[in-house]
Amino acid sequence: MSFKKIRSKKCAYLFIQKLGFKAKLVGELAGNYSTVVLMFGFAVAAMAPALVISRMLSPRKRSNPVKFLPMECGQVPTGEGRTHFMMQYYAYILMFVVFDVVAIFLYAWGSTILYLPKDATLPIIGFLAIVFGAMAFALHQSGRRDIW
Amino acid sequence: MSVIAPNFKLSEFIKSILDNLFWILLIMALIGFPAIQLVLFFIEMPVINGELLTPFLALTWLIDPSRSLPIIKAFMTTDLFRVAAFPGFGFAALIAAGTIFVERKMLAKLQLRVGPFYCGKIEGILQLMGDGLKLISKEIIIPAKADKPLFWAAPVLFVATAAAFVALIPVAPGWVVADVDVGLLAVFAVIGFFPIITILSAWSANSKFPFIGGIRALYQMVSFEIPLILSLLGVVILTGTLNLSEIAASQSSFPWIIFLPIGAIVFFITMLAELERIPFDLPEAESEIVAGWLTEFSGMMYGLVQLGTYLKLYAFAGLFVVLFLGGWSGPMIWPPFPEEIITEGIELGPVTAQFPGLPVFSQEMLNGTVWFVLKTVGVIFFILLPRGVFPRIRVDMLLDLGWKKLIGLAFVNIFIALGLLYAGILGPGGIF
Repeated sequence: MSFKKIRSKKCAYLFIQKLGFKAKLVGELAGNYSTVVLMFGFAVAAMAPALVISRMLSPRKRSNPVKFLPMECGQVPTGEGRTHFMMQYYAYILMFVVFDVVAIFLYAWGSTILYLPKDATLPIIGFLAIVFGAMAFALHQSGRRDIW
Repeated sequence: MSVIAPNFKLSEFIKSILDNLFWILLIMALIGFPAIQLVLFFIEMPVINGELLTPFLALTWLIDPSRSLPIIKAFMTTDLFRVAAFPGFGFAALIAAGTIFVERKMLAKLQLRVGPFYCGKIEGILQLMGDGLKLISKEIIIPAKADKPLFWAAPVLFVATAAAFVALIPVAPGWVVADVDVGLLAVFAVIGFFPIITILSAWSANSKFPFIGGIRALYQMVSFEIPLILSLLGVVILTGTLNLSEIAASQSSFPWIIFLPIGAIVFFITMLAELERIPFDLPEAESEIVAGWLTEFSGMMYGLVQLGTYLKLYAFAGLFVVLFLGGWSGPMIWPPFPEEIITEGIELGPVTAQFPGLPVFSQEMLNGTVWFVLKTVGVIFFILLPRGVFPRIRVDMLLDLGWKKLIGLAFVNIFIALGLLYAGILGPGGIF
C-alpha cells in the first residue's frame, strides 16, 4: 500500500473520530441501538396482554352477521372496501421519495459543517439551488389537475 | 350487554380480591416458604462480601435497607429499569395519562362545559381508570373481511413504535434509554414508521372509512416529514452533533429558540401535523369520515391506539424541549439533601435507621427532571390548545402549506443558522 493511500485512510479514520463515532467496530456502533429494540419489545410484551385479557373478559357473541360488517353508518356496505385511491395527490408521494433523501443528505453536510472548510459550503449552495429548481418544477407539475 | 356491568358490585369485587389475596398468602406461608427454605439448603450458595450467602442472610438482606439499597441502586443502572420505569415506558405512560385528563378538562373549560366530573369525587380524576375498565371489558369486533393478523398487530405495533420513539428522548443528564450517536436520524427513522403502520391498519380493515383516513394520513405525514426534517437542520449546523444528549447539553446558557425561532415554529406546526392534532386532523376527521383510520377499532384495540398517540405526543413535546428549549438545563431549584441523611440516617420517632448512600438520585438529576417535565408540560399545553380554538383545514390547503410555505421557511431557518455561524456569532470562536 502506498503512502498516499495509508494517509488518506488515516485521514478518513480521524474524520470519523471527529464526528463523534466512538465505536471502532460496526457491531459496537449497532449495539447502541439494542435498547431501542428492547423498548420496542418491552412495549409489545406489555401491551399484547391487554388485548388477550380484554379478549378473555369481554363477551363474544356471534349471533348476528350484520354486526361484523364494515362500518358504513348503518347502511349495508356495497362494493370494494379498499377503494378511492386519490390519484391527484399521488405526485406528492413521488416528490416525497426524492426530496426526503435530499433532506437527509443535507444532514451529512450539516452535522460536519464545523469541521469542514468554509469553501465547502459553496457547492452545497449550488446543490440547494438545483433542488429549489427541481422542487418548483415538481410542485408546478403536481399542481396541474389536468394531467393527474 | 357486557359481562361486568349488570351484576357488578364494588363491595363484592373488593371481597373477591381480598379472598384471592388471603388464599395466596395462606398457600405461600404453608407451602411456599418451607419449600423455598428446603430448596435453598440443598443448593450451594455463593460467597458475597466475604460471607457465605445462607438463606438467613438472604432474608436479612431483604429486611435490612442498608444492605438491600445497593441492590436497588444496581438495579436502577440496568437497561431493564430504564426501559420499563424511569426515562422509558412507565414515565412516558404516566405523562400520557396526565395529558389525556388535562386535555379533556381543558377542552371542556374552553368550550364552557364541565368535562369529566363524577368519577373519583375530585373533578373526575379517576375518569381515565373508568375508561380503561370500560375499554378492557368491551367486545373486540373485527370486520368480517379484514386481514386478521395485520389488524390485530397494528395497535400493538403503533404503541411499540411510539415507545421506541420515547426511548430516544433524554430526560436528565445521563438518563436516556438509548444514547446513540446519530439520535436525530434515529428519530426520523422511527417517525417514518408511523405512516406505514397507519396505512397497514387502514388496508387490513377492508372498510371504506378507514381506507380513506389511512390514505389521508399517508399524504399528511409524507407532506410534513420534509419540513420537519429540514427545520431541525439549523440546530444541527450550530451544534455540530446529532446526539440528542449533546444537543441538550449545548444549550446550558441559552436555548436555541432564541436564535432559531423560525425553525421552532416550523417544527411545532409539522409536529401538530405528524400528531394529527386539530388543525391537521384530517385522518381522523370525525365530522366527515366517522373516525378515519380508527373507525373499525373497538374496545382495547382503540385504547392501545390512543395510548400510542399520547406516547407519541409526549415524545414529540420532549423532542421540541430537547432541541429548542434547552432540555434539562435550568437554574438549580431542587433543595440540596441535608447532610445528616447521608451521615446519620433517617429518624422516625424513636428509631434511627442508617442507610449508606441514601439519596438514590443525585440532586442534578432531580433538578434536570423537574425542568424537563415543566418544559414538556408547557409544550404539551400548546399542542393541546389548538383543539379548542381552530377549525380543520382542507387537504389541498394542507399540501400547499406543507410543500410551499413550511419548506421555504425551513430553508430560511437554515440560512439564518449559516449566517450566525459564518458571522462569528455562534459556533467555535463565536461571541457566545
